[in-house]
Amino acid sequence: MNEYIKELILKNLGELKNYFLLNYQVIIEFIIKMFILYFGIFSFAALLTILERKISALIQDRVGPEKANIWKFRLWGLFHPIADGIKIIMKEDFIPKNANKFMFSLAPIITVFSSLIVFAFIPFGNYIQILDHKIKLILIETDIAIFLIIALSSLAIYGVFMGGVFSANSWGILGSMRAIAQLISYEVITLISLLPIILIYTPSTLHDLVEKQSDMFFGIIPNWGIILQPFAFIFFFTAALCENKRIPFDVVEGESEIIGYFTEYSSMRFGAFMFAEYIEIIFFSMLITIFFLGGWNVPFLKDYGFKIFNFVLEIDSKIVYLLELISFIIKVFLVSFIIIFTRWTLPRFRFDQILRLSWEYILPLSIANIIFTAILIRII
Amino acid sequence: MIRTKYIKIKDLNFIEKIYIIEVLKGFVITFKHFFSNLFKMFTNKKIITIRYPEEKIPVLGVAKLKSNHRIKLRHDGTPKCVACMLCSTICPAKCIYIEAEEVESIIEKAPKIFNIDLSKCVMCGLCVEACPEDAISMDKGIFEGGSYNRFLNKSLGGLFYTKKELFLNLENEKISELGASNSLIFRREKYE
Ligand code: SF4
Ligand code: SF4
Repeated sequence: MNEYIKELILKNLGELKNYFLLNYQVIIEFIIKMFILYFGIFSFAALLTILERKISALIQDRVGPEKANIWKFRLWGLFHPIADGIKIIMKEDFIPKNANKFMFSLAPIITVFSSLIVFAFIPFGNYIQILDHKIKLILIETDIAIFLIIALSSLAIYGVFMGGVFSANSWGILGSMRAIAQLISYEVITLISLLPIILIYTPSTLHDLVEKQSDMFFGIIPNWGIILQPFAFIFFFTAALCENKRIPFDVVEGESEIIGYFTEYSSMRFGAFMFAEYIEIIFFSMLITIFFLGGWNVPFLKDYGFKIFNFVLEIDSKIVYLLELISFIIKVFLVSFIIIFTRWTLPRFRFDQILRLSWEYILPLSIANIIFTAILIRII
Repeated sequence: MIRTKYIKIKDLNFIEKIYIIEVLKGFVITFKHFFSNLFKMFTNKKIITIRYPEEKIPVLGVAKLKSNHRIKLRHDGTPKCVACMLCSTICPAKCIYIEAEEVESIIEKAPKIFNIDLSKCVMCGLCVEACPEDAISMDKGIFEGGSYNRFLNKSLGGLFYTKKELFLNLENEKISELGASNSLIFRREKYE
C-alpha cells in the first residue's frame, strides 16, 4: 500500500514538474500580467480618491486639496492620496468591546477580496505585442465569466452585513439592514439588464463580446451596446451606482445621518471599505465599457489600420494594439468620471423610493426589455 | 395672531416624472461649473476661494475688534492696567492670570505678571467689556491661532501671551484717555 502511494505521489510530482517545464512561459506571463493589472488598479483607485475631491471642489466653485507637497512640490494636489494613506494607517485601530472580534476583522477583508477577485475575469485590453510574443490581456478566460463576475461581486454583501451586525452598534445594524435590502434588490437588475446584450451578441467569452462590437452600421455608426440597447445601459448604470452605494443611493452610509455599516470602523479597516468602494467604481466602469461602449474598439480602426470608407491608412499591428489599449483606458476613465460626477449632481433618494424604483419600475422594465429584444431578434 | 401661508406644490409633469431628462439638465449645470473652473485653474484666473495663509484680504471694521489681545499704554509708557482682576474674573475660559505689585506712582498698583493663554481663550470679548480702565482690548489685528506648541510664548511661535507681547500701543494710535485712574492723574496734574 505504502509503495503504491509513494509511486502515485512521485508520478504526480513528475507530471507537475513536466507541466511547469512545458508551460513555464504561460505561468511567468500570467504572474507579470497579474502584477501589472493590480498595480494599475491600485494606482487608479488612489487617483480616483483625489479626483473625487478635486471634481467636487470644482463643481462647487472651490479650489480643492492642493497643499500636500514633497519639498514644496505640489503637483496640483496629486500627493494627497499618499498623505491620506499615511494618515489613515497612523490612526488608532479600534475594536468595540462587545464586538465579535473575528467577524469584525473579517468583514473588510471579504469586501476588498470580493472587489479585487473579479478583475481576473475581465479583459483589460485586446492583445499586446512585445517582440514576437502576442499576449492576450486577460488573466483567466472562461465562458461563464459574465455570471461568475456578477456572482463574485455580490460577495461584497457579506462584508457589508458582517461589518454592521458584528460591531455591536445599533447604527451599524441599521446601516447593514438597509444595505442588504438595497444590494439584493439591485443585484437582480445588474444581471437582468445585461441579458439583452448577451441575447444580441451571443458572445462565448467577454473577449468575444468586445470583438463582436467592432463592426459599423452603414459604415459610420459603431455597433456598440449603448446604441443597440440604450435602455439596458440606463438600467445597468443605475444598478451599478446603487451596488456601489454612492450618492443618489447612499442611504447605506448616510453621511448626514451617521448611520452606516462601518460606523465602528477606524484606521485601515475603514480605509479598506473606502478603498473597496473606489475599486468597485473601476470594476463597474470596466463592465460598462465592455458591455456598452465597445471595449477597446475605436471607430474606423481595424487590425491593419484606419479604414474610413475607401480610404485606408495602414498602421503596424503593434501600434494598433497599443492604440486599442489606450482607448480602453480612456473609456474606463471617462465612465468613472461620470460616476463621480453623478454623485455631485443628484440629490439622494429616500430609502422607500430606492426600493420602489427597483422593484416597481426598473425590474419590470428590464424584463420587458429582454422580451422585446428576444422578439425583435426572432423577427429579424 | 398666527398667520398661515399656503404653498401649492406643483405636480410633476410626465417628462419630469421620467426623471432622466431632468438628470441630464442637472448634469449640464455641474458640467458648466466644472469646465469653467477647470479653465480658470489652467489659465491662472481666480476661483472665488481665498487661499488663506498665502492670500489675505483686509479685515473689515468691527471684525478687527475680535483679534488678539493687547494692553494699552499711557503717555509715559506705563500700562493702563491696574490689576483689578475684573477681566480674569469674568473670563469664562479662565485663561487670564494676573499677579499685582505695588508701584511708585499715584496709581499704586500694576500687574507684575499678566498671562493670557490663547489656547484656552474663546475670543468672547468679555474681558474687554469688563475692564474699567479701557486697558485690555482686542484690536491687534492678528488672527492666526495655530501652533505646534501651546506652552511657548507667542513671540516664539506658541500660544502664550506674557507682559512682553501684551503691553504695546499700536502705530499712530491716539492714546486713550479713558479710565478711572487716568482721570486721577489728570486731576492731580490740574491740582498741581
Ligand atoms: S476673550 Fe473671553 S475667553 Fe478670551 S481672555 Fe477675554 S474673557 Fe477670556
Ligand atoms: S480688567 Fe482691565 S484693569 Fe482690570 S486687570 Fe483686567 S486689564 Fe487690568
